[in-house]
Amino acid sequence: MMTLGPLDHREAVRYLGDSRVAMTEEMEALLTECEEEVLAAADPKFLYKVKELPCPELMVGKDIAEHLDGCSKVVLLCATVGAGIDRMLRIAQVKDMSRAVVLDSMSSVAIEQVCRKFDEFIAEEYPDLYQTFRFSPGYGDYPIDLQKWFLTELDAPKKIGLTTNDSYLLIPTKSVTAVMGLSETEPPKRKRGCASCNLRETCNFRKRGAHCGA
Amino acid sequence: MLETREFLFLDGAMGTLIQKSGVQYEHNPETLNLTHPDLITSFHRAYLEAGSDLVYANTFGANTYKLEGSGYTTEEVIKAAIRNAREAAKDFDALVALDVGPTGQLLEPAGSLSFEEAYDLFAEEIDAAADADVIVIETMTDLYEAKAAVLAAREHAPGKPILVTMTFETTGRTFAGVSAEAAALTLSGLGVSALGVNCSLGPRDLEPVIERMSHYTDLPLIFKPNAGLPDPNSSEYDIGPEEFAESVRDIAKHGLKVVGGCCGTTPEYIAKLKEALADVTYTPQQKIEGPVICSPSTIVHINGPRIIGERINPTGKKLFKKALQENNIDYILNQALSQVEAGAEILDVNVGLPEIDEREMMVKVLKAIQGVCDAPLQIDSTKPDVLEAALRAYNGRPIVNSVNGEEKSLSTVLPLVKKYGATVVGLTLDEKGIPKTADERFQIAKRIVERAEAIGIPREDVFIDCLTLTVSAEQDACQQTLEGLHRVKTELGCKTALGVSNISFGLPYRELVNRTFLTMAMEEGLDLPIINPNVASMTGAVRAYRVLKGIDKNSLEYISAYQDYTPPESGGAAPAAPAGSAHAGGSPAPESGAGLSPLQNAILKGLKTEGSNATKELLLTEDPLSIVNGELIPALDKVGADFEAGKVFLPQLIQSANAAQECFLVIKEEIARTGSASVSKGKVILATVKGDIHDIGKNIVKVLLDNYGYTVIDLGRDVDPRLIVETAMKEDIEAVGLSALMTTTLGSMEETIKLLREEPSLRNEDGSSKVNVMVGGAVVTPDYAEKIGADYYCRDAKATVDACKTVFKN
Repeated sequence: MMTLGPLDHREAVRYLGDSRVAMTEEMEALLTECEEEVLAAADPKFLYKVKELPCPELMVGKDIAEHLDGCSKVVLLCATVGAGIDRMLRIAQVKDMSRAVVLDSMSSVAIEQVCRKFDEFIAEEYPDLYQTFRFSPGYGDYPIDLQKWFLTELDAPKKIGLTTNDSYLLIPTKSVTAVMGLSETEPPKRKRGCASCNLRETCNFRKRGAHCGA
Repeated sequence: MLETREFLFLDGAMGTLIQKSGVQYEHNPETLNLTHPDLITSFHRAYLEAGSDLVYANTFGANTYKLEGSGYTTEEVIKAAIRNAREAAKDFDALVALDVGPTGQLLEPAGSLSFEEAYDLFAEEIDAAADADVIVIETMTDLYEAKAAVLAAREHAPGKPILVTMTFETTGRTFAGVSAEAAALTLSGLGVSALGVNCSLGPRDLEPVIERMSHYTDLPLIFKPNAGLPDPNSSEYDIGPEEFAESVRDIAKHGLKVVGGCCGTTPEYIAKLKEALADVTYTPQQKIEGPVICSPSTIVHINGPRIIGERINPTGKKLFKKALQENNIDYILNQALSQVEAGAEILDVNVGLPEIDEREMMVKVLKAIQGVCDAPLQIDSTKPDVLEAALRAYNGRPIVNSVNGEEKSLSTVLPLVKKYGATVVGLTLDEKGIPKTADERFQIAKRIVERAEAIGIPREDVFIDCLTLTVSAEQDACQQTLEGLHRVKTELGCKTALGVSNISFGLPYRELVNRTFLTMAMEEGLDLPIINPNVASMTGAVRAYRVLKGIDKNSLEYISAYQDYTPPESGGAAPAAPAGSAHAGGSPAPESGAGLSPLQNAILKGLKTEGSNATKELLLTEDPLSIVNGELIPALDKVGADFEAGKVFLPQLIQSANAAQECFLVIKEEIARTGSASVSKGKVILATVKGDIHDIGKNIVKVLLDNYGYTVIDLGRDVDPRLIVETAMKEDIEAVGLSALMTTTLGSMEETIKLLREEPSLRNEDGSSKVNVMVGGAVVTPDYAEKIGADYYCRDAKATVDACKTVFKN
């Protein structure tokens, strides 16, 4: 369905929580090993569906309305790097936590790459339309419990094995659901702040009160 | 009908007809059973007119989880659905099935739905379907979930035929990594009527999958593919009725008996299918010979000696016993992983210890091992209730260890083996103990095999253990064991198992005796040596034997195991690092040197072997506690400070902690040897709260606390608040660390703290709380921590260590 390209080491280091640390040869070697392991374990998949607006089920809260302002269509996305990644992370956590944290970051890089490839794919499919950035349940006031609606709408459990639990955690964990607006006119530039970042709940920068600068 | 008809024709897709009709529904298509009963009945009728012998009621997603918010109960929807199907079927010679689809949630260990909860969801559906003729379980991607559904069907609708199909990708595996072979093996063992595949792909693409399944079951096969693949824009499928029917006709030779269509198929497909198969006869497939066991992803065909790792067993192992007492599951998981790395193909699991609840522990350990390890398992217990709980909880086809010739054992263990489709080790002893002679043991073996066959367990699934006795106590016993083994193999035609290591008790250089005995036993026909695979010469003996006997074709396995082998240097080779501790290649590089001891340097650099050697050296001159306080803790503090200052990466901090752990192990051994005071600085519970399965943060905290000398009771992830309170009471706990990673699970954190505060026995005399609660996790803020009544907000693992230092005043 799709293949992953090289995983960005700097991005993995950023997810590890500290760009201040000077890179060492050993760390670079560890990153390379973990990149290989993630690429071998990943089974990247995505599903999407284009819907005409208005779509009342989708419009919950103020933020999504603002985000999709001026859009005529939306693209719903479900993406995952698969259950093999979770298993790899479980094994690493038993055997060697230091490796596990790097694998975890590298897996985050992998799912983000799937999403970026998807953005490019949509840009090719709809060359005449402008895209908003991807907006996910849990961003701003957009309710996390919409996860279930996204998954049902795209038949994600059956088609790509993506589910949630009762707390609306996506499982496999390295996965994304999102909506992207498509518009005939260029949407106003919006700052993509922490509230609309996939790492908003796990980000080490935020914990320190800092910002990644992305 | 399976017996009387050449082929049994199922229906095609329900969803496709619903979609084509343009009918609107809210929430779930299953609600149409109540809002548009006539329409649903008309769909069933269309399939029956096309020739279906069995129609699936419109109940695929009719479980309580999926129906939540629809305004209908499972019972209402299912009763209506069966009524609608029955209404159509009454005019035909046809059957009606309850259609059970996946719950929609992932089961443990990948997800958080427990096996038992899944069972309950399925049982509810099956209870509501008393009027159905057949139970169909379909589109399963997790073998564990399929097993929960099959058990629910067998136990809530005894005697009703069960058809199970799973959904595979082109790789021959499901999303969950289940292999076609393992699915066929496991499901046949569970007593279903037929099994096979449905959905995902068209017939041609699914042919390799059904063919692979066909070698591992003798049950009739079910084939219900899609009409090819859908076009992403039009949703039209790309294989027409004619092509579909022709393809299935060609594939029927693999043992297909029950055929139909899944997504994209319509009554026209079924009509064509029936036409195409009109002059074809059912050809049962050829199952491979010999016993096969499996986990969901890995099968082990017992067609030559296969190594069973014996290390997961507390007998005679102090550290293992302690791990069980402290609920230290990670210790056991490490034992599992290192044995597999060393060459074990099957792992024996024994957690029997008088002071623990063996049944509960067995279930917990089996689930945890299967979460990280692909090797099939051998469930080792003498207690039928432990065996039954384990057989339910195990995902795959296991070995039961063991039954013996005693009447009590035969009458309790064998029925369990039969019910869960397992294989079993039969020990040649009975009420009178272990007989002295080979012939007496042979007679017991014969009795066990006869009793097994009498209740339908095939002979090939019984592995006879002729019992190893200690040769230093009774020298002739070895010959008796080997002779018994030979006779069992040649006269009974059974596979054989043997615990090898017992042979050498009381002798020097036990390894040599073990290895020689192992080789002798293999030559007499031993199939399942139960050994310590971490001893290289034992594993090597089995591998070499397989080459010499021509079992390891072209020596491929042997070469892949030893191609990088270099003989150890003679004379005092450095001790090898324990398995799994090899350096990940990321040793930290904080500025070292100046004024630091070798031990502190080793910790700063994350070097385990150097650290433990330096500790051993220091122990010659210093007492354990002063090494901990004067060397280990200051070194860890330094790395912690470097981490906070942004000088080292998180993985480096953890590597230093791991190096410190090696040093602690050396110190603990010294303390155990000399009986001096404990170095535990205090006991701490760690848990990721209910509903949350992200536990990497909690695990980092655990590594650090361990290595600062705290005793950590790790309750894992998705932990019930009650369990935390009960453990705090039982263990007399002063500090509890809770982690939550999602805003949706913060509520569980609050509830846990509330319960801890409410429990009277966790209060001091003045009414204040005995338990100090530390909270952390990405979404937790200092304000929130205060609001929910936590004592410490911990920003990261280092802050948790600092909090513990305050709590325990050390």
